[in-house]
Amino acid sequence: MSKLHAIVIGAGFTGVAIAHDLALRGFAVTVVERGPIVNGTSGRTHGLLHSGARYAVNDQESAIECIQENQILRLIVPDAIEPNGGLFIGITDEDMAYREKFIEGCAACRIPIKELTPQEALRLEPNLNPKLQTAFTVPDGTFDPLRLALAFAASAKSNGAVFHLYTDVVDLLTDGQGNIVGVKAWDRATDKRFEIRGDIVVNATGAWVGHITSMAGISVPITPTPGVMVAYDQRLTQRAINLLNKPGDGDIVLPQRRMMVVGTTSFTIEDPDYVPVYEDHVQLMIERGSNLIPALRQTKERGAYMATRPLIGASAPGRSISRTFKAYDHKETDNVEGLVTITGGKATTLRLMAEKTVDLICKKFNLNIPCTTAETPLLSYRKFYVN
Amino acid sequence: MTEEKWTVKFVIFRKKGDQPPRYDSYVLEVDPDEYVIDGVERIWAFHDRSLIFAHACHHSTCGACGMRVNDVEKLTCITKIRDVTTNGGSLKIEPLRNFPIIGDLVVDMTRMYAAMDRVHAKAVHPLSAAPLEGEGIRPPKDVPRNNGDEYLRLADCIECGLCISACPVAGTAENYLGPAVLAAAQLQGLKHNPDLLDLVDCADGLWRCHSAYECTAVCPSNVDPGWRIMDLRRQVVGERIKRWFVKA
Amino acid sequence: MDTPKKPNTRGILDWFDPRGRNVGGWGFIINRLSAIGLTVYLYLHLYMLGKLAQGPEAFDAFIETAKQPAIMFGEMLVIIAGLYHGLNGLRIALNSFGIAVPAQRQLLYGVVGITLIGTVVFGVRMLTAH
Repeated sequence: MSKLHAIVIGAGFTGVAIAHDLALRGFAVTVVERGPIVNGTSGRTHGLLHSGARYAVNDQESAIECIQENQILRLIVPDAIEPNGGLFIGITDEDMAYREKFIEGCAACRIPIKELTPQEALRLEPNLNPKLQTAFTVPDGTFDPLRLALAFAASAKSNGAVFHLYTDVVDLLTDGQGNIVGVKAWDRATDKRFEIRGDIVVNATGAWVGHITSMAGISVPITPTPGVMVAYDQRLTQRAINLLNKPGDGDIVLPQRRMMVVGTTSFTIEDPDYVPVYEDHVQLMIERGSNLIPALRQTKERGAYMATRPLIGASAPGRSISRTFKAYDHKETDNVEGLVTITGGKATTLRLMAEKTVDLICKKFNLNIPCTTAETPLLSYRKFYVN
Repeated sequence: MTEEKWTVKFVIFRKKGDQPPRYDSYVLEVDPDEYVIDGVERIWAFHDRSLIFAHACHHSTCGACGMRVNDVEKLTCITKIRDVTTNGGSLKIEPLRNFPIIGDLVVDMTRMYAAMDRVHAKAVHPLSAAPLEGEGIRPPKDVPRNNGDEYLRLADCIECGLCISACPVAGTAENYLGPAVLAAAQLQGLKHNPDLLDLVDCADGLWRCHSAYECTAVCPSNVDPGWRIMDLRRQVVGERIKRWFVKA
Repeated sequence: MDTPKKPNTRGILDWFDPRGRNVGGWGFIINRLSAIGLTVYLYLHLYMLGKLAQGPEAFDAFIETAKQPAIMFGEMLVIIAGLYHGLNGLRIALNSFGIAVPAQRQLLYGVVGITLIGTVVFGVRMLTAH
């Protein structure tokens, strides 16, 4: 029996995780990506491996997904993660008013936390704002976005997945009745155009899913919601530092290699292809970041960048939209066979997003193959380049 | 940053498949405090969708966006336009040297990744393996611990390939391990990894280095490969002398 | 993606391209040039020694030509190359034992300084001797 052929559009976090999952479950996989691996939202993520505590009060579905996936990723891809934990610190009385809800939320989502006295917290992380009134340890981490994605891509490749990088999908191929049977591609490295036919096309283009679905005359309720992040030239803590309050702008500062990264802001746009880094957002990051870690003010800026989250739902304010994800079978929603769209979610839940999407694809083909990605250690990211 | 606006001519190396290379020019209005990668990405977004270039994290943790900017290897996501040209000036952007070109500004760095694998370079290591401050000096004595466990952090080397591009001998010695790889071997130490000795102590290992120190000059990530190669030579000589006496 | 195998390099030409290079890179370029110069000189020197075997007349005639200014300038270059290459060899040997690597730039300035002084001293002697 010949393998079913799946075409995955997009090599962001979702795309590479789906490619890995599909390949493990026996599909022939072709990934088409217009740039290099994770050149869009995924690469430009903050890099926080969420414990889920950030969402434990307002978005418990996301919080539970985060803590479970956090524990899985630590095991299957240790060489992309700094597993040093995190702190939530309360500084003002307003922060302290959030304390009870935070403790209850984390308990409900089974996120292990421990409260520290200000003295204990400052002994662990001497660069914290000395005015802090309380601190909670959480199992946060930091990850390297490219290496996290490459580990999935390398594992997919070793199971036979083929990657066409720097290759645009310029159109979808149809069977004449509006059903999708493949993609028209343009390889920009060699300036060659070709067609790829498959049994299923998976649209994993995140904030760009609308670009692909519009080729089939379908629209998806997605709100591209960019945020600005700023990196500073010194490592001032070993843990990720969060503000103990409801999610807001510039309330996470995390260490990565020799840097600190502060994020993020949140606003909505129409076209995610290019969004400038706004100067007032950069200023806001240093204001908010130095509330958590005052020494940031004396630290040189190293980089400033922007990433566009794909939030599900139209025209709602950014922070109130759930950070969970959704997979659409367009046969069911729009009566178009052969196309599945996955979007929303966050970096920490990439593996779970892939699991749910591939479950849906298997169901479509009446296959009963269980997902094994949670138990399968990933290959080293370098194996994407070295066979 | 300011409201300042500069006009800068980007001169971009272009190559598709087997076609001969050429240079395309694009005049952009930029904020001088923007980074070079922002200009390159805007050329793709608004001027020429056929352009290909590598990038991912935009804040120097992934090492994807190394290019030659006005003949010097730069990580373009942390290189401010102000620091490499002037108002009305130009920026020549070319792919890294000493790697095969995939197209335009993208190179195939398999050579480096394969060699990093051969010395089993660690991507994440204990905080104590390399000091956070200072250049290429020995590990710090007093390293904080996390309730008895060691803190782990991502290694300084982001495998961006700038050092291999800047190295004057890497172009004429295709099998040379290269500065990043030798630095990774040094970081692990021969004492604890004796299997690395034969790998680095050979013609295409650390004796290929001709001490131009360009690797250290272009390294965007505090690795100081020049110092590490020299320190590795010291380790190799020490180790070889020790083995004489052990055998005899 | 079919990846081409040939690396993006101009080979030996890249040894001598000083654009964008730093102090250490210049040190390498001069080191390579002096090495090639000294190798060429070695063959000229062997050729000259060959004249000895052809008897005193041939040798005397050669010494006459050697006194021409162009040849003397060439000899100066040999001195510069010899001094620089030898001293830079000491610098790199020192560095290779892990000694004074962070000071490689200052060491190079020292190498160039001593080379210049040596050149002046030799130049004065050569001019006064004739």
